[in-house]
Formats: sequence, C-alpha cells, structure tokens
Amino acid sequence: MAFFLQNLVNALQWGSFYALIALGYSMVYSILMLFNFAHGDIFMVGAYIGFGVATGLMVLASLWAFTLPGWLILVLTILLSMFLTSFLGMFVERVGYRPLREAPRASAAITGLMIGIILEILILWGMGTQRVSFPSLIDTVTYNIGGVFITNKKIMIVAISLSFMLALHLFIKKTRWGMAMRAMAFDYVVVPLMGVSINHIARMTFAIGSALAAVAGILFGVAYPVLDPYMGIIFGWKAFVAAILGGRGSIMGATLAGFLLGFIEIFVAMIFPSTLRDLIAYSIVLLILVFRPYGFFGEPYSAKLRL
Amino acid sequence: MEATSSELSAPESGLKSKIGRLFSRVPIIGWLFGALVAVILEQIVGMPLALALGLPKIPVLFGFVTVLKKPMLVPSTMLFVLLIYFLPIVIIARLSLEPANRLAEKLINFSMEGSVLIHLVLLYAILHIWAEVSDYRLLILKFTLIAIMVTVSLNVINGYMGEFSCSHPGFMALGAYTASVFTVSLFVNDSLFGQALLPSFLGPFLFPLGLILGGCVASLGALLVAIPSFKTRGDYLAIISLAFLFIVKSLIENLEFVGGPRGLSSQPDWANLPIVFAWTVACIWIINNFVRSTLGKALNAVRDEETAANAMTVNTRRTKMVAFMFAAFWAGVAGGLFAHVLRYVNPTTFGIQKLAEVLAMVYFGGLNSVYGSIVGAVSLSILGEALRPLELFKWIVIPLLLILVMIFRPTGLIAFKEFNVKKLIRPKQSPGKEV
Amino acid sequence: MKKGLISIAVACCLIFGLVLFACGPEAPKTIKIGINAPITGDIPKVGEGTKFAAQMWLADVNAAGGLDVGGKKYMVELVIEDNESKAESAVKVNTKMITEDDVLIIVGPQSSKQAVPAGEVANNYSTPMISPWSTNPKTTKDRPYVFRGCFLDPFQGPVVAKFIKKEFGFDKAAVLYDVASDYPKGLAEFFKAAWEDLNGAGSVVAYESFTTKDADFSSQLTNIINSGAQFIFSPQYYNEVALIVQQAHQLGWDKPIVGSDSWGSAETVQLCGKDCYGLFFSTHYAAAAAKGATKEFIDRYNKEHGYVPDDVGALTWDAMRIAQQAIKDCGTITGDLKADRQCVRDALAQIKEFSGITGNMTFNEDGDPAKCAVIVRISDQGEFEFYESVCP
Repeated sequence: MAFFLQNLVNALQWGSFYALIALGYSMVYSILMLFNFAHGDIFMVGAYIGFGVATGLMVLASLWAFTLPGWLILVLTILLSMFLTSFLGMFVERVGYRPLREAPRASAAITGLMIGIILEILILWGMGTQRVSFPSLIDTVTYNIGGVFITNKKIMIVAISLSFMLALHLFIKKTRWGMAMRAMAFDYVVVPLMGVSINHIARMTFAIGSALAAVAGILFGVAYPVLDPYMGIIFGWKAFVAAILGGRGSIMGATLAGFLLGFIEIFVAMIFPSTLRDLIAYSIVLLILVFRPYGFFGEPYSAKLRL
Repeated sequence: MEATSSELSAPESGLKSKIGRLFSRVPIIGWLFGALVAVILEQIVGMPLALALGLPKIPVLFGFVTVLKKPMLVPSTMLFVLLIYFLPIVIIARLSLEPANRLAEKLINFSMEGSVLIHLVLLYAILHIWAEVSDYRLLILKFTLIAIMVTVSLNVINGYMGEFSCSHPGFMALGAYTASVFTVSLFVNDSLFGQALLPSFLGPFLFPLGLILGGCVASLGALLVAIPSFKTRGDYLAIISLAFLFIVKSLIENLEFVGGPRGLSSQPDWANLPIVFAWTVACIWIINNFVRSTLGKALNAVRDEETAANAMTVNTRRTKMVAFMFAAFWAGVAGGLFAHVLRYVNPTTFGIQKLAEVLAMVYFGGLNSVYGSIVGAVSLSILGEALRPLELFKWIVIPLLLILVMIFRPTGLIAFKEFNVKKLIRPKQSPGKEV
Repeated sequence: MKKGLISIAVACCLIFGLVLFACGPEAPKTIKIGINAPITGDIPKVGEGTKFAAQMWLADVNAAGGLDVGGKKYMVELVIEDNESKAESAVKVNTKMITEDDVLIIVGPQSSKQAVPAGEVANNYSTPMISPWSTNPKTTKDRPYVFRGCFLDPFQGPVVAKFIKKEFGFDKAAVLYDVASDYPKGLAEFFKAAWEDLNGAGSVVAYESFTTKDADFSSQLTNIINSGAQFIFSPQYYNEVALIVQQAHQLGWDKPIVGSDSWGSAETVQLCGKDCYGLFFSTHYAAAAAKGATKEFIDRYNKEHGYVPDDVGALTWDAMRIAQQAIKDCGTITGDLKADRQCVRDALAQIKEFSGITGNMTFNEDGDPAKCAVIVRISDQGEFEFYESVCP
C-alpha cells in the first residue's frame, strides 16, 4: 500500500508539470487552432529566467545585507518570471504567428518549431555549455508518513500548480476577457466581427500560456535543479500530446490529460519493466484515442487546414 | 575576365530582361548539355585551375565550405565557380539552343519514354561525374537524394492530404532496420546474426527486395497509425503519429537482437550512387503519378472539403489510408537506403530532431508540390552542409531563413505546382525559327 | 550577342590552357589533424571540452616551433568540425576531413553512436583515427586504422562490482541507467553480468531504466527501494547523477550510490551539492589528488577556461599526445598522404605503452588501451579524493 501511495505522490508531482505546460498548448490550440511548438522552449526559457531572477534577488539581498526568507524569494521569482516570460510569449506571437494568421496552420507550426530552435541556441550561446544548477531556495524537509516519503517541495509544487490551474479556470469562466476567449474559441470568424480584437485575444492567450510555462519552469527547477537548453524539447512534445488528448477547447481536459500522462508514465514504470516504459505508455495513449477519438472533453468538429 | 564578371553580377534591368529572353528558349536538354560540359571540364582542368587560383583544392560545394572558414578565398572561389560552372553552362546552353531544341523535338516525337530516359541518363552522368571529384560530394549527394525521397513522400501526407503527420522518422526507422536485418542476416558474417546464409554475390540482386520489405514494414506501421487516426477528421493524426514515433523508438531500443540503443552496423556497401539515384527517380516518378491520378485528386478533394468529397462518392477513409500507407512505404525505402549509405543505424537518429528536419524541408520547399519538395530537400541539405563551419550560429541562420520564407511565402517556396515531365522536357521553341 | 559569347568562350579556353601549364602540388609545410567534435547537438559540453583540449595542445606544439618529425619542424593545423552529435553528420565530417582537408590523422568522434560509423569511414580510407571517449567495442573491432583512448565497458563493469563486494560486502544490487544511450546501457549490462558472477543469479534485485532527457526517476527509485537492494549502481552522466541522488534521498534512500567514469566532472558536485558527498565512483583519474602532468593540465585548463576539465578533455589531450607520438615515431613526412597515413597508423600500432595524464596505457591488437581505473570518493568538501587504484 505504501508502495502504491508513494507512486501516487510521485505521479501527482510529475503530472502537474505536464498539466501546466499542456494548458499553454491547449489555450493556443483552442483559440487560434494552432500548434505552438515553441511552447516547450518557452518553458525552458522560463526556467532560465527564473534562475536569473532568483540569483539576482539573492545577490541583491546579500549586497544590501538583509536576509530574504527563501519562500519570499520564490514567490517574487515566480511573479517576476511570469511577468517577463509573458513578454517572451507575446513577442513569439507577434513575430512567428501573427504574420501567418491567414496562412496554412501547419506553416505557423513550423515557425514555432524554428523559434524554439533559435531560443535553445540563444540560451546555449548565452549561458555556455555547462548546465545550470537552480538555487535551492527552500530547504528540503522529508516527511515519512507510514512509509510514504513526501517532501515539502512536492506538496508545494502540487499546491501551486493546482492553484494556478484553478485561477485560470476562474479567469476563463468568470471574467469578460475569459468570455471573449471562449467566444473566440467557439467561432473564429464571426466573433472578431462583434468587436473583439483577435490580436488582443491572441496576445493575451500567449501571455497567459507563457506565464504558466514560466511557473512550470521554476517549479521544475525547484524539483529537478538541473537546467539545460534542450530540456524543453521532449517535455514539450509530450505535453503537446496531453493537450490534444484533453480535447479541443477544454481547459479542464488539458489539465486532466496532463495529470493522466504523468500517472501513465509513473505507473507503467511501476508495473512493467521500466525499459518498456515509453512503448507501453504511448500504446495506452493510442488506445485511449481509439476509444475517445475527440479526447476527453472535446466535441466532434471539423478542423480544416485553411489552405 | 574581371569586366565580364562584374557585368554579369550586376546587370541592369534592361539587360536582365534581355538575358531572360535569350535563355528562356533553352530546353532542359540544353542546360543538361551545359552542365555536362561543366562537370567534365571540372574533372579535367579543375585541379590545376584551383591551384593556379590559389585554392587548396577544387571547391567541393561551390566553395561554401571553405569560404566560411577562410574569407580570403572568396574572390578566387567565385572566379572558379564562374569559370567552371557558370560560363560553360551559360555558353553551351545558349550556343546549343537550336540543335538542342531540334533534338528535344525529335526525341519527344520519337517516344516520350525514350526522351525521359535520355534526360535521366544525362542527369545521372552529370551527377556521377560531379561526384567523382570527391567522395565527400558523393556522400552529400546520396544523403540529399534520400532526403528528397523522404520529403516528397511526407508531402503526400502533409501537403496533398493536408494532415499533420509526425511519424515519418518512425517509418524511416522501420524501413532502415528491416532492410538492415535483411541484408546483415543474409549476407554478412556478423556477431548479432551469425554466419551469412546466402553467398554474397547474390546480395546486390536481392538488395531491392530488402528495401521493398523495409517499405512494407513501414506501411504496416502506418496502418497501425491510420486505423485510429482516420476514423475522424481532426488533429488527432498529429498526436497519434507522435505517440507512434515514441513507440517505435522505444521498441527498437528494447530489441536486443538488432543491437538496442547501440545500433546496428556492418551493413554491406550496396547503396552506391546508381542505386540511390534509381530509387529516387522511381520514388519521384511513382509519387508524381500517384498524386496526379484519380486517387491523388480524390486526396486533394478530401483535404479541401471532406463532406463534399464524400458526397461525390470518394471513400474518404480508404483514400486517406491508402495515401498514408503509400507515403510510409517510400519513407521506409528511404530509411533502408539511409541505413546502407551510413552503414550504421541507431534509434536516436530517428527522433524528434529528424522530424524537425524533415518537416522543415517539406514546408520550406512548398506544400502540395513534388517540385517544391525536391527544391526544399536539396536546398536545406546543401545549406546544412555549407553552413557547418558556423557551428552554433548555423542553427540560428537556418531557422531564421525558414521563418522568413514562411512569413513571405506561407505555403513554401514552390507550392501547388504540378510536376509535369512532358512540359519540362519539351522543346522551348519550334525548330527552324531563327531568333 | 552570339559573337560576344564565342569570344568569351575563346577567352576561357585560353585561360584553361594557361592553367594546364601551371605548376603541380607542393610538399606540405603543415601537418593537418582533424577534430570531429559534437559542438552543437545534445552534448555541447563534450564538444567544447574536446575543442579546448585540442587547442591547448596546438598552442603548445606551435609555440615550440611546430612538430618535430625526423629533424624537420612542421607547423600543425587543426581542422575542427562540428558533427552535431548525429551519426550521419559524423560520417560526413570524417569523409570531408579525409578527402577534402587532407588530414593526417583524426581525433574523435567522442560518443560511440558517432564513432562506430565514423570509424568505418576512417578505416575504409586507410586514415588513422583515435576516438578518445568511445567505449563500444565495435568502434575498433576489426578496424586496423581505428584506435581509442579510454577503457572499454567490459573492463569497468567488473572493476566496480569487485570494489563494492570487497569494500561493503553487499550481495543485492540495484542498477538504474538510461536505456536510450549506449554508454550507460553497455556499462549497466556488463556490471550486471559481473555482479551476478560474484553473487549468483538474481543478485541484481532491481534493474531499472529511463530515457534520455527524463528528469523524474521517482517511479524507478521507488521500485528500487521496494526491492531491498543494498546499493544503487548508476553509470549516468553528471546532470542525471545530481537528479538521481537527490531524488533517491528525498524518497528515503540512505544507502550508497556508486557511479562510473561519467561522474568524473566538476559539474557533478556543483549540480548535486551535499547529496553527493561520500559517494564512490570509478574513473580514469582523480582531479583533487592529481600530480605532475595531470595537475598541470587541469590547472592550465582551469585557468584558461574557468572550470576543471571533464574526463573528455583529459582523454582528448591524451589522444592528441598519442597522435603526436605516432607522427614523431613515423620519422618522415613525405607529402604523399597515403604513405604518411600508413606510416602514422603503423607507428600508432607500434606504441605499446604510453604514459598519459589519464594513466599509463598499453594497447592491445585491437587498438584498445588497457589502463588502470581509479576509485574516487567524493569528500565532505566536495572534492574527488583518490581512494584506490584497480588495474586489469
């Protein structure tokens, strides 16, 4: 039992990263019908920005000789990095996606992919080839609850991710901006005629998605404190699978699918030989799609490549 | 010489149209003659000329590779390219305008197939002589031809069918491994498969069988992707194919008998230039016929308006599945050739990076166009090789270029253009008519 | 216009005619050495280490007025090419360096996935090649022109197994490795075989894997902890080591974790911190206790580039010096590349013993060195302490 619970805890943490990144994919996909393949790399840049901000804050604190508690630095880092990374998201949208609004959707996917590569190389060039160690802002405390080991970081990560997901959910359901986004997702052609600016909505979508990616990046840095410029690639593609698996236009779906993917990966490695993990995990994903071809919460729709 | 080069490099607009008029009537066979003369010329006088110009060797890829490392060599490299390639091609093409047109006319009247064949033989001769100068060129050429096959076949799915497939590297991997297992187990004394089962002189004859087998296995893999994907319309192919890519990679990593992550080596050296060239031509020809056939048109109909296509008695699901498996077949064949050119395969080769590469070639060259795919594959392959001295910055230059192409020509360089062989090889002017 | 074209044609013919009478090739004044390194791609750090070590060597040689071969000094030129950490690129680069740049000898590529196919090319063109870092036996097997600078997996696996048995007396092992990367996988297999030889079948109670670029190992570690293993052997690269060790500790693991030479980077401790203190691993040399030439190299590299070199830097340095030795032993450079390459390859095969900064090596007939491994302990100050030396 303890063994199972331990894996459940592990899966919760791992799944919350997939879910946070999948949300960014899913929002762009729902509203603009685009695959934002730069998102995995925005997550990576977010982690690096978080690293920069955290280090900067620590240096500042030591310069002026006062002690900031670790949690305060973390909160400030998350907020500042969200702010900075959202600008990166808006920049990517402006440069790579807006000129292609009327182009085939796949072309925009290619610009995204290419922007991702450029971001990787710029980070590699700027930071040098050595990997970066994310500063340990809070001391790890391990609790042993009946054989299940839980650290304070794990609890914090799951709690912070869940609260951001909830905040996004409320934003989309309760605010006027959220309503505009839902409207845009519902009909891409008519809604702009009603006075909702598609550019505003697109920019906001990218900003929010990127801010969430930054949160994911920093939490990732806290949990797995080794950053390298290529860490967003595989992670991003897998989160992309989760986003589409969730179903188009469903924030809830993307969240659940993200957690589900994390659970599948962890539990497959628990039950089967771990060498076969990807093989079995993605076969399960395939099976899910055979039975639910529109994802969890998606509805049948006609998605056409606008050629 | 200096005067000529400056005149040619900076023509006025009037001169430009004049030159355009001068050369618009040169048939393709004329250009081929020119190129043939150029490569023969390079073969004979290339080396002394290069040395006389102060170059260490004949510039391989038109000088790109050396020039980026030693900018001092730019003028002499340019002079070399001008003397060996540019001037001979231009002069011969222009001088042979009339005989070439007459020849093209005669050939096409005699027999269409024969004419195509002669053009191909000429093209092969040019490539062969060009590659003879250096084995490096030969290798680049082979990889480029394989890239063409992969790109053209992916264009069937992403361009003609209008879906977004991510599994092409997976199909390549299936083809590469099947063909390698076939040749290595049958014809090579290897530590993984033991003694050779057949005498090695049979090998080159059975090699195509191995490639076709590889293609078939790739097709079977495609069936696995196609069954769940084409139940519905939508973007599910994107993730199903992506999941398939992860599955294939993980599968091969776990197959100990093909070496797992250590890869499979010691493939026999049978993928020489004529073989690769012949397969590439076959691939282009068959795919071109496919997309121009009823099935290909049905595919376009499905892409543009699925409901309407359905109403017009197009069996949309079957059409999509056939096209998907067909494209996968060619990716598998290309993978098999790739394995035998490299003479080593490992699962990491066929990962996300390869996917990005192939997608870039398809969208750079142009959707829905065999022509575009050829251009995309050739230009990105050569560019990737030429910019290697830039190291890190190569990966900024190429993506930037692609982004610019996407912004200014969202469907790629040459999109929606039919590859019409007859139009290509026909004479550009009726014989006897003087200019 | 037609007239103009004809006159150009005539002019060209004249130029070609002149060119044909131009003088032939000259004897070489420089020796070219090719470096095939993964400067971009997924292991840029390895490429950088290779490049820096080779450039340091070059600076040394050219500061001494060139390479002394048979009483004549030749300047050395490095042809450094990027193989993007891809197999096909490594093959292209090797072909280019051999046929275009006329290199005398090639050092690299580093990882086996590139060294295996690239070695095939070098062997086909009869050009000597030394891979400093590739541990796959296939790289040099049946290839007279291919050599390597490091020990093979079949050697290191048993070394670690024997050390653990002797030091701790354990009999239940767990292995955690990257299934998609050939170095960790090979080493894991050889370790498993060696351990089961010592302790009987079934003594490896957990044999868990993950995939390159994974960051979460909690599921595998939970399995390992559940299996009752007494220690973990993890032949992983330093970035993963940090994550594995930290996560193991967070999951309540307090037993030893043992590693291999891929831990031997200054970054291991930098990334891992206190969690790694007190752990053991086997490697080529111990940076903290280094003496003589080894220390000199480390200090100089550290001064020039700001960090302690990884094993790949040290191995490249040794490979460059072996190449230098072979060229010297060859005696004469004739300018006829084919003969010179053959001569260097024969000289390489003649080198039976070599004292490098990563230890003394003796080469066998396959071109593989036999050298002692060192067991290193990460001290409580985070330094790599020499613990003991194990020779084959």
